[in-house]
Amino acid sequence: MWPPGPLMLGSSFPELLAAAQSGDEQAFAVLWRDLQPAVLRYFQVAAVGAAEDLAADTWLSVIRRLQQFRGDERAFRAWLFTVARHRTIDWRRQAARRPISSVPAEQLAEQRAPDDPVLQVLEGQSTRAALALVAELPADQAEVVALRVLGGLEVAEVARIVGKRPGTVRVLAHRGLRRLAKQLEAAGLAEGVTR
Amino acid sequence: MHPLLGSLEAGPSAADQDTLERLLEGRVDPALAPPGYSDLARLVAAMTAPAAPEELAGEQQTMAEFAAVMRSTPPTLVPRRTAVPRKVFTMKAAAAALVAVLSVGGIAAAATGLLPDQASPVADKAAASTAAAAAGQGLGAATSVELDEAAQAGLCRALQAGQGADHGARADTPAFQALAAAAGGAGNVTSYCENLTAGAGAGTSADGQGRESAVGPDAAGAARAGLCRAWRAGQGADNGRRADTPAFQALAAAAGGADKVAAYCEDVTAGAASDSQGQASPPSVSAPPTTVSPPSSGPPADPGGPPASTGPGGHGQGGPPTTS
Repeated sequence: MWPPGPLMLGSSFPELLAAAQSGDEQAFAVLWRDLQPAVLRYFQVAAVGAAEDLAADTWLSVIRRLQQFRGDERAFRAWLFTVARHRTIDWRRQAARRPISSVPAEQLAEQRAPDDPVLQVLEGQSTRAALALVAELPADQAEVVALRVLGGLEVAEVARIVGKRPGTVRVLAHRGLRRLAKQLEAAGLAEGVTR
Repeated sequence: MHPLLGSLEAGPSAADQDTLERLLEGRVDPALAPPGYSDLARLVAAMTAPAAPEELAGEQQTMAEFAAVMRSTPPTLVPRRTAVPRKVFTMKAAAAALVAVLSVGGIAAAATGLLPDQASPVADKAAASTAAAAAGQGLGAATSVELDEAAQAGLCRALQAGQGADHGARADTPAFQALAAAAGGAGNVTSYCENLTAGAGAGTSADGQGRESAVGPDAAGAARAGLCRAWRAGQGADNGRRADTPAFQALAAAAGGADKVAAYCEDVTAGAASDSQGQASPPSVSAPPTTVSPPSSGPPADPGGPPASTGPGGHGQGGPPTTS
């Protein structure tokens, strides 16, 4: 399963970071390859349609301030996703978007087309489908689920990033998962998928 | 009733919360999920599936941005507790490599003549080892190096300056290996260097702290001219790639920008004999309290890269360009 655990690069991170900070492009490439998919996917939840651009903006900010960063791998990820979240906020402001409100699951089930994300997830497919589902959650639930799952961040770190209390973050994440479970269940029953 | 959905009304049980937490941490295998949680586990697994190739498509562009930002920002040497991996190279080292190349005895000049606080042995040794290591790196960026006499003298001085300090480590760099080859063996280097620096007439004191005036008037200009000739020769061919090598990055730094190299080189080769730079600013070498392990060869450079030392073996007053 990916990520294999909270520390993806593990003991090689400090060396990689130091090398990257000294200008070693290969070292930075390792960091980027390790984290870019998660960053992209976070934006596919939090800023649908703008993921590639915002991910690129995020990395540019990180590159520009890379030499000032001090910390371990966990701290680096927290920083990376903090920057990502700022880009999301900027993007939302510019686009004057409002948070997506959820539609009751039963209605969703009726609207589902054959190749829709819910079915794809039920059938074990598609990262994109899973992300699309999470993206349909209320924004505050979606982002904590994304930060915990994709960012591999702990409750306390997510709380710092989103500026809420840890208890609130926990509740939001659980609500999000329960809502998703309801969607999946309802759609599965409606389509007769047996498990 | 579905255990999870039931909890929406009844309130989450501790077991539910624990399972949800484990789901969020990616610790629930879909095949082994508790009843009612397998769909969620599958969803989380889909979210965290291995990277698809298209998700890594932006690598080239991002690395180009990285390179661009790093070129324009002098990096700080980050103090580390662990040993530096041998693949690390620094822009500062690259710039110092050019210092070594452009000014014969430039390493010595950096170590002695140009640092504001000359008397500090730490500064001397740190600068010498940084510059020498960087020279080793920058020289190593071009494959088999043919050191001319001037460059050898510079390396010798660095060696003498650092004797007893990082001597062993420095001997591993390509530049010093080339020096050893010229001397006919690592064991001959000391006496070879004594002859060389004595013969250069640059009153070197062997204790490494010698505040020697570096060398004659012309090497800086001659070496710069050589680099410029190489750069010009490469234009239209691998010029773009060659721009990535440490030596040419330092040339670009000296010129005040990659786009100014052309103009800079015209100036240099036009007035080759005189150093139009005037007052030399010291390279911004910091003297870190911790030992700086000399970095070795950095990323592979264009094999047809710039020659490391060029021009006639004259001696010039060390006048390293501003590197920041």
